[in-house]
Order: sequence, then structure tokens, then C-alpha cells
Amino acid sequence: MIKLFAKLLRVLNSETDPGQISLGLCFSMIAGLTPLLSLHNLVVLLLVCILRVNFAAFLLGLGVFTGIAYVLDPLFHLLGLAVLTIPALEGLWTFLYQSVWWRLEYFNNSIVMGSLVFSVGLFIPILLLSNLLIRRYRQHVLAWVQKTKIMQMFKASKLYATYQTLSAWRDA
Amino acid sequence: MGKWIRWWGLGAFVVVVAIVGGVWIFFVDGWVKSLIEEAGTEAVGGKVELDAADLSLFPAGLTLTRLQVTDPKEPMTNAVEIAQVAMGLDGLNLLRRKFIIEEMVVEGVRLSTPRSTSGATRKVPAQEKELGMFSIDLPSLEVPDVKKILEQEDLETIRLIETLKADIKGEKETWESRLKDLPGKSQLAKYKERVKNLKNVKKGGLEGVLGGVGEVQSLKQDIEQEIESLKGAKKELEDKVTLLRTRLDQIKTAPQRDIQHLKAKYNLSPQGLANMSQTLLGGEIGSWVRQGAEWYERVKPFLEGVQAPGGREEGPEVQQPLRGKGVDVHFKEAHRLPDFLIRNTKVSVNLKLGDLAGTVYNITTDQPTLGKPTTFKFSGDQLKGVKSVSLEGALNHVVPAESKDEMTVQAKGYELTNLVLSKDAKWPVALTSGLGDMKLNAELKGQALTAHGGAQLSGLHLSAGQEGDANPLTKALSSAVRDIAQLAFQADVKGTLEHHDVTVSSDLDRILQSAAGKMVNELAAKFGAELQSAISAKIAEPMKQLKANMAGFDGIAGDLTERVTQHNEVLKSLLEKSLPTKDLKLPGGLKLPF
Repeated sequence: MIKLFAKLLRVLNSETDPGQISLGLCFSMIAGLTPLLSLHNLVVLLLVCILRVNFAAFLLGLGVFTGIAYVLDPLFHLLGLAVLTIPALEGLWTFLYQSVWWRLEYFNNSIVMGSLVFSVGLFIPILLLSNLLIRRYRQHVLAWVQKTKIMQMFKASKLYATYQTLSAWRDA
Repeated sequence: MGKWIRWWGLGAFVVVVAIVGGVWIFFVDGWVKSLIEEAGTEAVGGKVELDAADLSLFPAGLTLTRLQVTDPKEPMTNAVEIAQVAMGLDGLNLLRRKFIIEEMVVEGVRLSTPRSTSGATRKVPAQEKELGMFSIDLPSLEVPDVKKILEQEDLETIRLIETLKADIKGEKETWESRLKDLPGKSQLAKYKERVKNLKNVKKGGLEGVLGGVGEVQSLKQDIEQEIESLKGAKKELEDKVTLLRTRLDQIKTAPQRDIQHLKAKYNLSPQGLANMSQTLLGGEIGSWVRQGAEWYERVKPFLEGVQAPGGREEGPEVQQPLRGKGVDVHFKEAHRLPDFLIRNTKVSVNLKLGDLAGTVYNITTDQPTLGKPTTFKFSGDQLKGVKSVSLEGALNHVVPAESKDEMTVQAKGYELTNLVLSKDAKWPVALTSGLGDMKLNAELKGQALTAHGGAQLSGLHLSAGQEGDANPLTKALSSAVRDIAQLAFQADVKGTLEHHDVTVSSDLDRILQSAAGKMVNELAAKFGAELQSAISAKIAEPMKQLKANMAGFDGIAGDLTERVTQHNEVLKSLLEKSLPTKDLKLPGGLKLPF
């Protein structure tokens, strides 16, 4: 847990582009909220690999969103079922249902569809919001935190030592 | 662009996918094996084990090695053991989550093989043990002691006599009491007195005559009322007596009924021989039907219970899967296929008597979607102990509400050896050797089961009875059975899988009837005559008493008749002799009303 928190701090405090961190978090939201062994997550993994996305943010987000998914499953089920049974979309779903790849995607499952719609729908808003928050954090909070007594104490703690170790590993 | 793309990431992706794919390929065989074992065990109710499963991707196929299916009732025995199952999978449909197999080869099927370890998954319920010996209801050849029988038995004749006797006594008491209330001698004397008084009054002139007329009218009505009352009572008595006489007549036929009842009770009726085939084979055939029904019940859920929802004409269909997994919404498919289908299965079965080969078409869990029934055909020639055997049939659940399953089994030149037909201690029967041609047609339409089987047995050698048997009946039966060289059997099963009736008929019934029927009939006649004589003697005295009691009603009837006569005489004397009305002239030409 300490290492995880240290990772988060390190990512936030690093010189990494806030967009890369935000993108990592948003991709992790899709992979974490939807069933992991879905075909679309292979595409997500491909994008995470070839785009300059922050891996640490992705892995951190994956763990957090997977946990959240268990709580939100009933909501995903209701949302997915509603989407799949919209009469206007029946033609589209029937068309996709004939395709082997879409069947492999398991789009006709209420939780797969619900979680995918939910996470894709929140992708852009979360991307923009997290981007903004990271920038604000670095501008205001980080500078203030560095000066606080608590931070001074923290720097003298074991947690900070771990943080330093991780930094050393990265630099090595 | 370069800021956002890292091309080495593509390589990393390929490596990750390759590692995941490699792990999957490495573990998939074990996963398939455990999947088959778990699903099979759940379905059968006994352990299903597999030595190995080999899934190949190019071309898609699956090979299973040594599949063992435990007999749930006998955990140390495999109901089926299959050496190898090889199948080619439709890869494209597999990606659509449909298990479609164009051809499957099942080799080395063996039945009832021993297991090294128990295959029980749950507690096996205690089976009803077959009784080692059972008793055939053969007619008795010992004439029972008639005297003892009459002492012990509750005869209908005696019961009827006792009841009638009590009723006659009751009726007599009732009538004797009633006679006292009916008009008798004292009443008659009073009427005579009143008539006498009237004769004196008429001498008193016209006024006296007119007063007398009213008195005569009143007296006449009183006497006539008494006569009607007596006549009614007499009629009632006659009806009662007629009823009692009818019951007395019925008692005369009661001994015959007692004799028939006692003959049947003491097994002196040839009816026991009338359906010996049913006795010898009915239970065995019923047991086969029950075994067949048990296996059918295990297969039935797969025939009609696991229909794949396939997007019907009226719109998407929602299927409820396991909790926490969401629901699958199914849409109409352009080319509908069941989720599971084996189009063609070639099977080779290794039985003790030789090898059987067969084909099963369209094994599926969803016949309505496929639109075709599951059909099967097996045959074998020149087997050990049977010239040829064939089995074919169809399991049609295309329209589940109109399901129809049918099967025909045929065996020619089946060698019958050491087949125990009767385990009866007094009269054991065994088929030592013989040849049989058999055919069975069975049909299950909805819940209605009908099956008809026929067998022609020839070259028979039968053993029957015990050495030194002194019983003339079993001796005669044994002799008749030993002489049988050929027989024809017919068996019918009707009802449902749970409740069915088995009827068996054969030449055996006729043969046994002709061999021992006459003997049993003669004994029955002798027993009947003895019973008749004994019962007649036993009821002679009670019958005599009954008749005497009945005669008592004649006295009551005579008494009533006499009273009616006497009252009539009084009335007559009143009207004709006592009043001189003929010569009486009334003023104005008036006439008396009598």
C-alpha cells in the first residue's frame, strides 16, 4: 500500500506530461471497469503499449477501477440491458450479432455492454478533468505541500525513503 | 506525432500477447479436461473421468482419451468406458460460442467395466435387493379337510340364515303386538250390541225411524273403517312375508357362492395356470423397462431442457445466466444453429458378444433450432451367441410439446443359455439352451409409453421341477415344460415411464393349461361336491327352523282374514236383516240413503 501511494506521488510529482498520466488513467478505467478478458481490452492494451501512456498510472488505475467495478456491476447490468433492448438499436445489434468478432467481444452481455458504454462515455470527461487536476496540483498543492511541516516530516520518514529508492531504480 | 507514439511498444504488445497465448495453449488441455469432468459428473451423478484431452487449433479439433463414466448406482463400475473420442471442431462457430462438430468418432465403447476406485459423488441409496426365491401361485393338488374348513370359515350361507332368522323373529313379535291393537273380538261384540239396540229404536214410529237412520249410517261407517284397517294390515303382512320368502330363496343359492369362494381360496382353480408367462417373465421385463426409463430420464434434460435462445421473430430474447454475470441478450441469427451440435457420430461398441458399429446423427441440446431429431442406428453381425443384432430409433423433440421417441431392437439367432425362468422352490424352471429371434418396438409419445415385443424361441431345452417330486401337478407341469421345443412370446408395456403395466402372453399358458388343467378341474369338482354335501348338512336344520318360523306368519294372516270376515258378517246383518227399510214409506216419496 505504501509502495502504491509512493508510486502515485512519484507519478504526480514527476516531470511526466499530465496528458500521458490522464490517458493512462482513462485506459485503465476501460480495462478495469469492463470484464478484463474481453476482446476490446486487447485493443486497449495495444493502445497503452504504442501510445506514450504512463504505464504506472495505467497499472495503478487498473487496480483501483477493477475494485470499483465490483460495486458498480448492478449499475452496469441495468445500463447494458437498457442499451441492448432499445428498439431503435435492435437492427444494429442484430447486424453485429452476425459477426464472429463482435460475438467474441460478447457485446450482447449486459455487464460487458453497460461497463463499456459507461467507461467510454466517461473517457473524454475524465481525461480532461484529470488533466486539469494534475496541472492544478502541480501548480498549487505540490509547491505548498513541499513547504509544510508534515511534508518535512514525511521526507524524513520510511515512506519517503522508499520513494527515493524507487527514484534511484528508475534513474539507474 | 513522435511525442505520442512509441514503436517499441508494438513489440512489447506482441510479446505480451504471445506470452498470454503460450500460457493458454499450455494450460488449455487441462482446462478442457477438468471442464468435461466437472460438467459430466454433474450431469451423470457419478464421477466422469478423462485420462487426457488434446485440443488442437489448426485444424480445430479435440481428442479425448479414456473417458470413464461411473454408474451412479454402482460406484465401482463404469456404466460406459470409451477408449478414444476424436472430433473436428468448426473453429469459426467456436468463436461465436457454438460447439459445432461435423463428425465425431467414438472408438472402443465398453459397458459395465470395473473401476479401480469408487466413482461415487454422493451417497448411493440402498437398492431393493432381488428376492432370491419367489413363490409361484400354482394350483394346489391336496383336497383340504372340508370339516375343518367349515369350522374355520365364515360362510355366507350361515350368515344369511342367521340374519333371516333374527328378522323373522322380529317381524313375528311386531305382528303379534300389532294384532292386539287391531279390531278383534271385543270390538266385534260391541258392534253386535249396537246393531241389537238399533232394532229396538226402529219400533218408535217415524221419529224413531229417522233417528235410527242416522245411527245406522254412523255404525256402517265405523264397521267399514275397521274392515279397511284389517285389510290394510293383512296386505302389509303379505308383502313382508313375500320379502322374507325371497330372502329364503336366495339362501338356497348361497352355498354355491361359498363353494366357488373356497375353491379359489384353497387354490383349487385352474386359473393360476392361465397366465404363467406373466408370472415367469412379467417381473423381469418390468425391471428392464425401469432401467431403460432411468437412463432416459438422465438424457431427457439434454434433449429438451437446454434450448439455446436464438433471437426469435418477435424480438431479442433475454436469457438469465448465473448471478453476477449479467444477462445475455440474444438476437435473431441469419443462419441459426444450436449452441451444441454433433452432426455425425460414428461409434464402435465392444461388447462381450462382439463388436457393434453404429452412427448417431444430430446430437444436440436444441432440436427446435436445428429442426431435426436425433437418430441412431447400430448393428452387428456374426457375433458371439447372436447371429445379428440391430438397434435403431429417433429422439424427436423438434416440437417439445409433441415429443416422440421411438426405438426398434431386433436380434436374430440369439443363443439362450442357462436362463432361470422360475426360482420357485417347489417348481424351479430353467431354460438350458435354445435359439431366439426377437423384435421390440418402443414408443414414448409425450408421457405415453407403449412397447410391443415378440420372440420366437426354437430348439429349446428346458429343465423343470425337482428330482423325486411327488406332487402330481408339478410333475405334470414339469413333464409338459420339458417337452417344449419351441415357444412364442408376446410382451406389451403400456402406461408412463413411472407407472406402466407389463402384460406377457405365450404358448406356455396353453401348454400348461392342457397339461394340468384337467387334473385341477377334477380335483376342484371333487372338492366342490364335498363342500356342497357338507354345507347342505350344516344348513339343513337351520333351514328347517326357518321354514317353520315362516309358517308362523300363516297363523297371523289367518287371524286377520277371520276378523275381516266377522266384521263383514256384522255389516251384512246390519244392512240386510236388522232394518226393515224396504217397506218404509217416507213422506213426499223420500228414500233412505242406504
